[in-house]
Amino acid sequence: MNKYLVWFLLFLVLLASPFIGAISLNMSQVFVSGTLHNSIFLDLRVPRVLFAFAAGSILALSGLLFQTLFRNALMTPYTLGISSGAVLGAGIAIKLGLGSLVFGIAAISLFGFMGAILTVLLLIYLSKFLKHSHFESLLLLGISLSLFYTSAIMVIFYLGDAMQNDILLRFTMGSLSIIGWVHPTSVAIIAVILFLVIYLYRYELQLLSISDESAQLRGVNTKRTTLILLIVSSFAIGTLVSISGPIGFVGLIVPHIVAKLHPVTVNKRIVKTALFGGFFLVFCDTLTRSLQTQSELPIGIVTALIGGPFFIYLIINRSKKA
Amino acid sequence: MIRLDSLTVKYDDKSILANISLSVESHLTILGANGSGKSTLAKALCNLIEYEGSVSIYGQDIKELSLKERAKLLSYIPAKLEVYDPYISVEEFVLLGRFAHKNNFLDYSDKDKKIAQNTLEFLKISNLKEHTLNSLSSGESQLVLIAGALTAQSKIIILDEPTANLDPHNAKKVAQHIKGLKDYHQVILITHDLHLASFIDSPTLFIKDSSTTYFDNKAEFFNNSTLAKLYGVEFEGLAVKYE
Repeated sequence: MNKYLVWFLLFLVLLASPFIGAISLNMSQVFVSGTLHNSIFLDLRVPRVLFAFAAGSILALSGLLFQTLFRNALMTPYTLGISSGAVLGAGIAIKLGLGSLVFGIAAISLFGFMGAILTVLLLIYLSKFLKHSHFESLLLLGISLSLFYTSAIMVIFYLGDAMQNDILLRFTMGSLSIIGWVHPTSVAIIAVILFLVIYLYRYELQLLSISDESAQLRGVNTKRTTLILLIVSSFAIGTLVSISGPIGFVGLIVPHIVAKLHPVTVNKRIVKTALFGGFFLVFCDTLTRSLQTQSELPIGIVTALIGGPFFIYLIINRSKKA
Repeated sequence: MIRLDSLTVKYDDKSILANISLSVESHLTILGANGSGKSTLAKALCNLIEYEGSVSIYGQDIKELSLKERAKLLSYIPAKLEVYDPYISVEEFVLLGRFAHKNNFLDYSDKDKKIAQNTLEFLKISNLKEHTLNSLSSGESQLVLIAGALTAQSKIIILDEPTANLDPHNAKKVAQHIKGLKDYHQVILITHDLHLASFIDSPTLFIKDSSTTYFDNKAEFFNNSTLAKLYGVEFEGLAVKYE
């Protein structure tokens, strides 16, 4: 398929997205302020599209970043267990019944964020014990952590009452259902910050995408650069996941598709990956809202349904080359 | 100007290089058997590995130099380039030689781009500009690596086994370029290729059993009896004619 056609179609979906959902909007009322359909459009649909777009950008950019820093196509915050860490954190908050606010932030978000950050710190700490083939082992560590966290969440399920379990279940499946502009605005600001930081380090990333040694020889402080970028991106992922729950596979698929559409060096793919990630998640979200299901399908389920087979394809394709 | 003071490198408590002290004002060829520590020495010079003792270039300890200052003084050319990014082009790679000269966070200047262009033309590989690094032959890849080092305009260039993967035709081409480098750079050549070493004609350092022997001139080293003693096999001339 023509690459410009792909971009164009995704752009059309973005434009159409706010008009699609459980309630069909009455076009004559949408742009008249004070009407019900106007407030559905402005307070639910448009912020949700912004939220999906920003979330998609953060996930895709983090995927590109992790894949470049570790020179491994399977590295993403999701595969490394960072998203699961956030889910466990949020799960603990839900189980403890911490509904109240801590410094004006919902306890669930705060715990989710801490879960993500602590997982990154744990991975950095554990990676010090890895000697050879460092990054492959790091991936295995991440997968082990994911499995461990998932079991821990199961324990919480087992201990929880029906009410808590319902909240937790919705959270673990990932959701873009939000009301109002607070979450979309904050996530969009974080997406912009993440983008700018990655963009500033574009040539360092280009060198790191050749090899760690090449980067060092050309004058990149590879340890410091990797640490800065990892922390900024974990901060973005932690914040996002604490609001939306885990949305898997976007960070894995999008950088790969963008590279196939535009086979250019990594620093020329940063803007494209950010945009495509946004478009892609808006597309998936529009899909969940347009399916006539009993209740809305969680976004994490949709991305996983698309991403699972893709992940398998990627692994098979990769082992063929090796 | 490179100075080593009791340089020792260990891997898992096994000494690869033991207590090497050396001061090199000019070019140097480093020879030695497989696993004798030639590449280890090069990596220590670039501060890529842990070592004991001290290494200084132009009077400054390399550990005290900033990474960019070091990159401006010293380029390292590996035998083979491992590239993860399958899409980076020759032109983009060669331009990265200017990284240490570029302002933080900004794009490469027109001057940087001009230097990269000139280097490609000088090495007669402008035709490869748009090719990806992964698509190059060993010979082309070696020339592109040399182009990267020239673009960096570093005072010292270290070449690690530059002809190891090359056929005679490409080896000759690369050998002649290396000889040309000697006019403007301090060339540290690490090689197995005795004929290349003889053609490049620099003072020679022979590494064996983690210690070194220094030969000031060609005649001292390149005679059958010395070579037989050092390598433990008999020698009888003839390899590719690089002249």
